[in-house]
Order: sequence, then structure tokens, then C-alpha cells
Amino acid sequence: MTGTVETGAAASAAAATAAPAALLDIRDLQVKVGGQQVLRGISLTIGAGQVHAIMGPNGSGKSTLAHVLAGRPGYEIVSGSASFEGRDLFALAPEQRARGGLFLGFQYPVEIPGVNNAYLLKAALNAARRERSLAELDAFEFLELVRAKIKLMQIDESFLSRGVNEGFSGGEKKRNEILQMLVLEPKLALLDETDSGLDIDALKVVANGINTLRGPQHAIVLVTHYQRMLDFVVPDFVHVLARGRIVRSGDRTLALELEKRGYDWVSGQAAA
Amino acid sequence: MGAGMLTTAATAAPPRSATLERILSDYQAVASSLPDAAVTRDARTQAMRELSRFGWPKSSDEQWRYTNLRAFEAVAAFGPAALVPAPAAAPELPPALPGFERLVYVDGVRYHQAARAAAGLGGVAGTQWPAEQRLGLLCDMFASDVAALRISGTAAIEVLFLTSAAAAGASCYPRLQVALEPGGELQLVERHLGAPDAPTLVCANIEVVLGRGARLVHYRLQQCGLHTAFADTLCARLADESSYSVRQVAIGAACARTSAQVRLAGRGAALSWQAIAVGRGQQVHDTALKVEHLAADTRTEEVFRGIADERARIAFSGHIHIASSAPGSDTRQSLRGLIEGAGAEVDLRPRLEINTDEVKAQHGATTGALDENLMFYLLARGIDRDSARALLKWAFLGDVLRAIELPAVRRAAEHGAAGQLPDVMAVGALA
Repeated sequence: MTGTVETGAAASAAAATAAPAALLDIRDLQVKVGGQQVLRGISLTIGAGQVHAIMGPNGSGKSTLAHVLAGRPGYEIVSGSASFEGRDLFALAPEQRARGGLFLGFQYPVEIPGVNNAYLLKAALNAARRERSLAELDAFEFLELVRAKIKLMQIDESFLSRGVNEGFSGGEKKRNEILQMLVLEPKLALLDETDSGLDIDALKVVANGINTLRGPQHAIVLVTHYQRMLDFVVPDFVHVLARGRIVRSGDRTLALELEKRGYDWVSGQAAA
Repeated sequence: MGAGMLTTAATAAPPRSATLERILSDYQAVASSLPDAAVTRDARTQAMRELSRFGWPKSSDEQWRYTNLRAFEAVAAFGPAALVPAPAAAPELPPALPGFERLVYVDGVRYHQAARAAAGLGGVAGTQWPAEQRLGLLCDMFASDVAALRISGTAAIEVLFLTSAAAAGASCYPRLQVALEPGGELQLVERHLGAPDAPTLVCANIEVVLGRGARLVHYRLQQCGLHTAFADTLCARLADESSYSVRQVAIGAACARTSAQVRLAGRGAALSWQAIAVGRGQQVHDTALKVEHLAADTRTEEVFRGIADERARIAFSGHIHIASSAPGSDTRQSLRGLIEGAGAEVDLRPRLEINTDEVKAQHGATTGALDENLMFYLLARGIDRDSARALLKWAFLGDVLRAIELPAVRRAAEHGAAGQLPDVMAVGALA
């Protein structure tokens, strides 16, 4: 299995046999926020082409994991490591991680009036292209590229000239996050509760966008509280976080079982 | 101590400062040559008396605490740099605004005048400047000319006040009077330009009177050079159902002080004052705006955004007074300051006085550094830290810049503001 999931002692044993194609390899990651330990030893290996879902109750550390990997300040990495394509992820600044192909889809995308969407998208895309030694796109090439993706995400083209997320509804902000992901074509997309606050129609549009990225060159991590997103974006692996640990891993049936039995079913294992 | 001594002490005028002595002396030297057409001799004399009574402002006065008075005191001569129209050589002017008539004043004196604006003086009675607007008295004393606009229909006029190299070391007194007849509509651009290479005073008076239902959109761009001490004193009075929209961009001058007072005197009158100030180096931009709600159902929207970079100092005092005669008043005040330099300072002072019931009032004032959440969002998209910082600074000013509806004026304001923020220019945020 290219994608391996280990917890506890199994992790170290698996390290030696982890597939060389591992895109992201997290080892025994422990993190504090404001002096409180939030992650208590996460080990997880994600291979190119895989879709992983990370589920868990509120406060289990799901979003912390996504944000630590993206480089958000304010987190104290107590111990452990994360390598991204063999590079020490934590030695890279957030913008270097992004340009290197790591994308964080925000649960609460911020509004930045005064910086328009087109400007941000083009600047972000060209920053990533420079990193890959590709020529920057001019305005015409950029528009050509972005138009098809806008259509896919069912966003009005006029939004390009509006401020980033300015006045957008919650659903529009999430669609914009996925649009950015599609334009940037990251190697690894960490989508932090992208499904929260979406009605069923918007959820389908967002899921369709995520599935469009899916392919052998891209890995996706869906951080989610609910199973319903996984009806539309079917994961290869499901992990359950509770109290800062991965307490159970499995395939998509694990999410269905969680839906039936609730998080109390696994929380007891975290406390043990 | 005897009673007589006490009486003497109580009635004595405040001791004159050296600066005031110089002002009075300079005035006596030029008084006989100042044109009555701009300000009558009696009015000048009255202004001189008032200024003597108030005295030259001191930094210890709360109203003048943030003004760099030294920059004003460093001016070599308070007499006007020019008493007659400038020579025929055409000054360098910015591109004309499509659809606008243009008036040009060089060193406070009319250089060229379009036909419509020859409407003449009148409509604005001599303003009684209070102590907090006492620099208006200086302009009344020394003004060599006046741009007087009386508008009864619809008009679009640009008034350029240029300070020439010849004014270096002296003073210029731009004076602008605007009277809109009932129902009149005016788009007015007031722009101050010029960069003499020695300390120069530009001291402007702006008087506005709006008749019933009149609408004035007033764009104000202050782009003076860094040797200029700039003061503008504005007084506006609004009749029933009139509206006054001010879009002010202050980016130039070593020291700039705006003293403004707007009286919402008629029922339903509305003020929208949106302003930005951007300072670098050791620039000081200080604004004191007082709005008086004197009639029912009057409205104020006040937005200020200030960025202080390096060692600059930005201050904004927003005083809104709602009188007992103004039930149903609605005020919104949003003041925000961004401190970008280690030695920079931003001082925001919202003040709301309410003397009646049934009032809606929102106000907020925040000063600080760039929002870390916004910064991380841009970093997480691969934008480098310097560019992200520049973009967010630009976005910070966006509220006000976007409120400038005329594209040509907005471009001028944007380029002026971006010129103060070299990192913004570098990332091409204007594109």
C-alpha cells in the first residue's frame, strides 16, 4: 500500500518500509498552542495520488494539524518532524511551502478588500511557476487559464475584479478557495473543513472541484467533521483524531461507521 | 498683592510669542499693498485682532498637541509670496480632468480662470474662525486672491493651487469659497501641488455654503513638497437636505494640519467625510474635524485611514457634537491607523457628544500593526512577505480610495498614495 497509516509504535516500524513516493511524511508530531498540548504524537504518511480524510470531534486537533503543516505562526512544535518531498517542512517559511506545492484551503477565508482576486491569483500562480522554473503567465494567458476553472466552480467572472472574498457569502468563499486550488494545482491540498457551512448544491460544486484536482500528481487531505463530503469525494484513507492523536485509521467504511456510532465510539480509545 | 494688580492680571492679553510678533510685524509691512478684492481691509484687521487675542497655538494645547508647530514657525516670511498674477510662463500642470473646468492659482494668486468661475465673490460671508481654527485668521490677514465659486446648476471644477519655486522661504495663502444655490450640484477637485526647496508656508482657507438640496462632492488632494508646512482651515454650513461628500488624500508636506468644522444646520443634511493620510520619514499629518449636528435627521459618515511609516506621525481627532435640536441624527465613525515604522506614531481621538434622544451612533477607532490573519492568508498563497505587506497596506487604504468615484481623480489619488509607499509600487498593486 503506498499510503500507509500507523499510529503509536507501529509508526516507527513502518517508517523503514514507507514507499519512496511519499509526498508528506509526518513523524510523532507534538504541538502546543498557548502552552496547551494539542497534538500528541501524529504520524502519517501521504503518497502522491491519494485522498486522505481526517475526521474528529471539535477540539481534536484537526485544524491545528493543517495549519501547522502550512506554517501558521503561533504554534510550538515540541517534537517530531514532517518532510515534504524529502525536505524538512518546518524549516520552510509558509510562502516557501506554498510555492513548493502545499496548499491550505481555509475554513474561514479572510476578506481582503482592496486586493482583487485576479491580482492575488495571478501573483500566487506566477510565484509557484517561478519556483518550478516555468515562465510566468502574462495577463492574457492567465485569463485563459482561469476562465475555465471559474466556470467549473460556477463563479461569475466579474468576481475577478472584486476584492479577495469581499462581501462573499460563506459558500462563495469556499468555492473561491477551491478555485485558487485549481489554478495553483498544488501537489498537496490540505482542505480545512471546506464543507462546513455549505448547502447541498454548493457542496456538490465544491466536491466536483476537488475531484477535478484528483490525479496521480496530487494528494488531497480533507479535514472534516462530517461524513457527508465523503459521499462526493471518496477518500482512500480515513483517520480519526481524538485528543491530539490518530486513534483509528481505515478506509471509507470507517467514516460511515463513525456516522452511525458517533465520535464517543473512538474518544474512549484516545483517553486510554 | 493689591486688588489693582489682580485686575490688571485678569484683563491682560496673553503674552505674545515671538512667532505672533513676527506675523504682526510682517502684516504691518505688507498691509497697505494687500488687495481689498480678496479680503477687505477691515476684515484683515479684524482677523489680526482675533489672532492676537487667541495667540499663536502651543503644543501644550490639546487641539494642537499633534501639530508640528515648529515647521510653521520655521517659515522666514509670513507675507505672501505673490500679490499679482504670476508671469505668463506656463507652470507645469497635471493632466486635465475630462469634463472639468480648471482654475489655476500660483502662489495663491490666480494664473488662469475659466469663464464660468468668473461668477465673482459673494455668497460666503466672512467666517468667524474659532480658536481651534485660528490658522484661518492667518489666511484672512494675508490672502492675495480668492477662488470664489457660486453655482446654481450643475458644474465640475478643478482648482489647482501651485506653489512655485519662487515662493521658497515665503508664504502662500490659497483661498477658496464655494456657494451652492438651492439644488445646485458641484463636483469640485481641490489640489495643492508644488515643491519649493526651502521652508514654505501654504495656509489655505476653504469656506463652503450649501443651499437647500445642494450636492457637493469635494475631492481634496494635498501633494505639497517636503519643505512645505501646510495648513488648511475649512468651514462648511449645510442647509436642509443638502449633502457634502469630502474625499481627502493627504500625502505631502513636512507638516500638514487640517482644521475643519462642518455644521449640519438644516434638517436632513448629510456629510460623508472619507480621508486618508500617509506619512513617511518625519512627516506629520494632523487633522481636527468637528461636525455639529444642529438639526433633526442629519447624518454623518466619517472614515479615516492613516499609515505612519518610518518616523512619521499621523493624528486624527473626530469630534461629533449632536445638539438637543438634532433628534434622529445618525452618525457612523470609523477611524483606523496602521503603524508601520518602529518610530512611527498614530493618534486617533474619536469624541461623540450627544445631547438628545433617538440618535443612532456607531464609532470605532483602532490602531495597530497589520492583521496577522490577513498576512498568513497571503503567505499561504505563496506571496512573499514583503509583497504581502505592501498589498495589505494598499488594501488598508482601499475603503477610502474606492470611494473616489471619478476614475481620473482616483488614479491621481492612488498614484499619489502609492508614491508614499514604495513597496506598493514595487509589487504593482496599482495594475
